[in-house]
Amino acid sequence: MDKESIFEVIKASVRRVLGDVAEEEIAAHKSLVDLGANSVDRVEVAMYSMEQLDLKVPRMELSQARNIQGLVDILHKHANRK
Amino acid sequence: MAMWITGAGVITAVGHNISEFSDSLRKGRSGIQRLPAADAKSTEIHVGAAIRNFSWHSFIEQHENELPVIGSRASKVLRNTPDSVRWSVCAAIQAYKQARLHLLPISSRRLGLIIAGSNLQQSYIFENVVRFLREPEYIAPRYAMSFSDSYQVGVISEILSIHGPGFSVGGMAASGNVALYQALGWLRLGIVDACLVCGAAADFSHLELKAFAILGAAFTGEPSAEPHKACMPFDRQRKGCVWGQGSACLVLEAPESAERRGTGNIGELPGASCLLDGNHLPNPSLEGEVCAMRSGIEDAGITAEMIDYLNTHGTGSPLGDQIECEAIRKVFGARARHLCVNATKPLTGHCFSSAGIVEAVATLIQLNERFVHPNSNLESPIDDEIGFAGKEAKRFDGEFALSNSFGFGGVNSCVVLRRSTSPQQQAGDLS
Repeated sequence: MDKESIFEVIKASVRRVLGDVAEEEIAAHKSLVDLGANSVDRVEVAMYSMEQLDLKVPRMELSQARNIQGLVDILHKHANRK
Repeated sequence: MAMWITGAGVITAVGHNISEFSDSLRKGRSGIQRLPAADAKSTEIHVGAAIRNFSWHSFIEQHENELPVIGSRASKVLRNTPDSVRWSVCAAIQAYKQARLHLLPISSRRLGLIIAGSNLQQSYIFENVVRFLREPEYIAPRYAMSFSDSYQVGVISEILSIHGPGFSVGGMAASGNVALYQALGWLRLGIVDACLVCGAAADFSHLELKAFAILGAAFTGEPSAEPHKACMPFDRQRKGCVWGQGSACLVLEAPESAERRGTGNIGELPGASCLLDGNHLPNPSLEGEVCAMRSGIEDAGITAEMIDYLNTHGTGSPLGDQIECEAIRKVFGARARHLCVNATKPLTGHCFSSAGIVEAVATLIQLNERFVHPNSNLESPIDDEIGFAGKEAKRFDGEFALSNSFGFGGVNSCVVLRRSTSPQQQAGDLS
């Protein structure tokens, strides 16, 4: 699965959790905090994305992501290990 | 010492605000309907009074102009919360607004919050158990906070900026009255100037419904063509209680605080009681109910002769209704015949954790609007020495009322309510 598809999955998760974020606001260089996510929202975005991609990534590893691009990279790495 | 009630809100199967609820009471409209057959297959519960066609989102939008900060916080927080929490918030906003706390605020440290009920998000928990059994990794992360009743305390306190004391209290079906009893104590001790008491909806899962069915506490018969006739308190044909979803909120306030803010009352809470039977089982106690009613009346500083209206616990349970009738006759003697007595549960269903608050709101509406709602399903009363209301609403002029709630595990709690003592233009019509 390519990074673009993973980014789309994350975007859908962000909208599911945060609701009122405009699509164009969700950019790879932004962090979830920039988009108004609190600590629980951030875990939910990661979890819904993993569920959609049928992945299980260790939580310690997920916490390394500094922005949406970081999350894309981590999920991409695991998706292509399968 | 009596405390004032300065705001009320309600969301039930028969009304999503005070005005709709009042109209349903007057018309004896029941919210009990047939439940989906697929659910009834496993639970044996075929009827219930579910909250229908209520959108928390539209509710917040309607209030956003007048309450922009509260509306914006609510829109954010409620997006990912269980329904029971959303209904509590919407009922609390109604009460907060009626008490004009947004226009005439009090110090947030002097404003308290009590959530009535425990185990409030059972259907949300049940959904997550199903998810867990499928794949533990993908349960809702928010579950770590929102499985707890205290979550409702956090959510409402954040949205309404409440920084005084707050927690949830449980007393099974008597939880609502127990919470009013607790808030009355805080106000009398001067711990708070005002307190929101919010009856949260018990959002039962199939597990709870099935357990009530197995225990014989709930109506499990196949509904006739008229499901609203399934709940028949005090009738010879009664066959058990019918559950309902409902949330309601009252703002209790010290009279001097309300006067300082320049707001009137929509009623008073002069007294309350909460007494235990020393019994973990569901069976009612005649002595316990008599003591609780007497204790509430005594606490209010009045006598039984001054009570004009009685809102019964009246669930439609064969034994429960019989014991409550005996208790009413013991407390009121010959006067029982002259009381106006009805049961609100055939309309709202048994709202369990919030029942006490829902019924306190129903009582205040009737006292202030000068009517008693009908006992629509009461064809053949089990007791002819009690003044049961008939099948139509009737005009009624009374000052004091008693509202009973009795919970499994021997929790008996009664509240005495008084109609508004403020000039009508100040208190505002409840509807």
